[in-house]
Amino acid sequence: MSLKTARVLASTYFVLALIFVTWPGMVPFARVEPLILGLPFSMAWIAAWVAGSVVVLYLLDRVECRYHADGDD
Amino acid sequence: MERWVVIALVIAAYLVLTLTIGLLAGRRSSSSVAGYVAADRSFGLLVMYFVTGASVFSAFAFLGGPGWAYSRGAAAFYILAYGALGMAPFYWIGPRAASLGRKFGYVTQAQLITGRFPSRSLSALIAILSLVAFIPYVTLQMRGAGIVIEAVTDGNVPIWLGSAIAYGIVIVYVLAAGAMAVGWTNTFQGVFMVVIAWALGLYLPFRLYGGIGPMFERIAEARPDFLVPPGLDAAGEPWSWGAYSTFILVSAIGLMMWPHLFMKAFTAKDDKTMRRTVILFPTFQLFLIPVFLIGFAGVQFEGGAPPSADFILPFMILATGLPAIVVGLFCAGALSASMSTGDALLHASASVVVEDGIAQFVELDDRMQRILMRVLVLLTGATAYYFAQDPDSSLVLLLASAYGIISQLAPPVVASMYWKRATTPGVVAGLVAGTATAFFFYLTPELKPFDMHEGILGLLVHVPVLIAVSLLTRPQDDQHVKDFFS
Repeated sequence: MSLKTARVLASTYFVLALIFVTWPGMVPFARVEPLILGLPFSMAWIAAWVAGSVVVLYLLDRVECRYHADGDD
Repeated sequence: MERWVVIALVIAAYLVLTLTIGLLAGRRSSSSVAGYVAADRSFGLLVMYFVTGASVFSAFAFLGGPGWAYSRGAAAFYILAYGALGMAPFYWIGPRAASLGRKFGYVTQAQLITGRFPSRSLSALIAILSLVAFIPYVTLQMRGAGIVIEAVTDGNVPIWLGSAIAYGIVIVYVLAAGAMAVGWTNTFQGVFMVVIAWALGLYLPFRLYGGIGPMFERIAEARPDFLVPPGLDAAGEPWSWGAYSTFILVSAIGLMMWPHLFMKAFTAKDDKTMRRTVILFPTFQLFLIPVFLIGFAGVQFEGGAPPSADFILPFMILATGLPAIVVGLFCAGALSASMSTGDALLHASASVVVEDGIAQFVELDDRMQRILMRVLVLLTGATAYYFAQDPDSSLVLLLASAYGIISQLAPPVVASMYWKRATTPGVVAGLVAGTATAFFFYLTPELKPFDMHEGILGLLVHVPVLIAVSLLTRPQDDQHVKDFFS
């Protein structure tokens, strides 16, 4: 994957995350049932976006590292 | 021995340990300004991770978080939502700021901005805004520490004394050792608070309700709307989506603009370390889940209620009849949250006021700067301590407006590193207009459209003004811009 694609994809994820944890994206998910691991659905929903960002940033980092192998800009 | 004495002894032992770590760490630091402010740019991944995590999670998260979950239900979820969003852009902004820092010797955010947009008044304006935002934040931490100590010692150590002891210790190691002490004590405190939060957050629901699911089922049954975003407002009425969404947005934008966090870019050893810190940061964020569980455990609790929502954490700890030593450890965890943010705040506010305010107008040598910074740590600490004694100070409100101010630093930071056509008059005009707008809506909340956070309303004015005035004024000298972007 090229650096540019990786950056666009990662940025897209965070824009989507923002939309889906605020108004209006959050509205359909603002409910209690079903409980996920015991947590209210909306709380688990937000936590999932947070956990997903670790994965997205990790994958982005793997691509970025190939482009500056010394770890510096 | 009386129960509260045992608890007090555990807390005392914890405080002594923190002090020792802080003082030992200082011996590794050089005596230059770069040493005091930026720890000689030496922090590796482990220290960076906990410095960042522990300075983000303060008494607001550790006491306010459960307090919100307890009194406002799903409204608390906003605190969970914004952290990862706010941190992610730093994956790119951080290394870029760091490389400029190494090239031009910057140790503060205002130096970065005024490096690109030379103006002493701009520098002073940033220093003043930072200080105005910092003081209520430090006040909140001190009051938090005082609340914990007062609650668990049955009032034998009142708030004024508890906050004085905890912050006396913080001030000693910040004065003695600067950034290096903040780094190492936060590593220790960060580990401590994560372990404590998970242990208590899982223990309480199981002990009181037989599990996390059963606890939420009981809450949902008794109060169907309580767990549905956007939750409740301070008065217990349904909160608005406008406020909920813009709280997330302003906190995400403002998060990394706090000078004590932004300056971490200048303390990292290399860019790789900083990127890894950003990647791992959301894992720290998830520790809000057990923190919320502590607060939710109090909602249907039958053994009484705390004097106010902010007391819910120490209240629940005491109500469950745990052994005194365990209670002491839990409270030390809450103190960690307060002190690990408070120390970074005090350190950063002194650095910013001296470097960006005073040093712009008066010639100061390295030694003089270090002395002045220490004087300012004391002054800021004393001011915040004074406000912390006020029992009905509306700190959460003050902190929310602090975010309104601090988020105004985002456009200048982004413009300095990413927009070649931006000009000094544009940045100054934007900052003044944005801050004035935020301040206006802070004073007249009834005029806010859609109940939006005043910081966002400020930004809606700030950004267009920055762009328009920049385009209307003469572009910056080519060579100057090239130096900055190469």
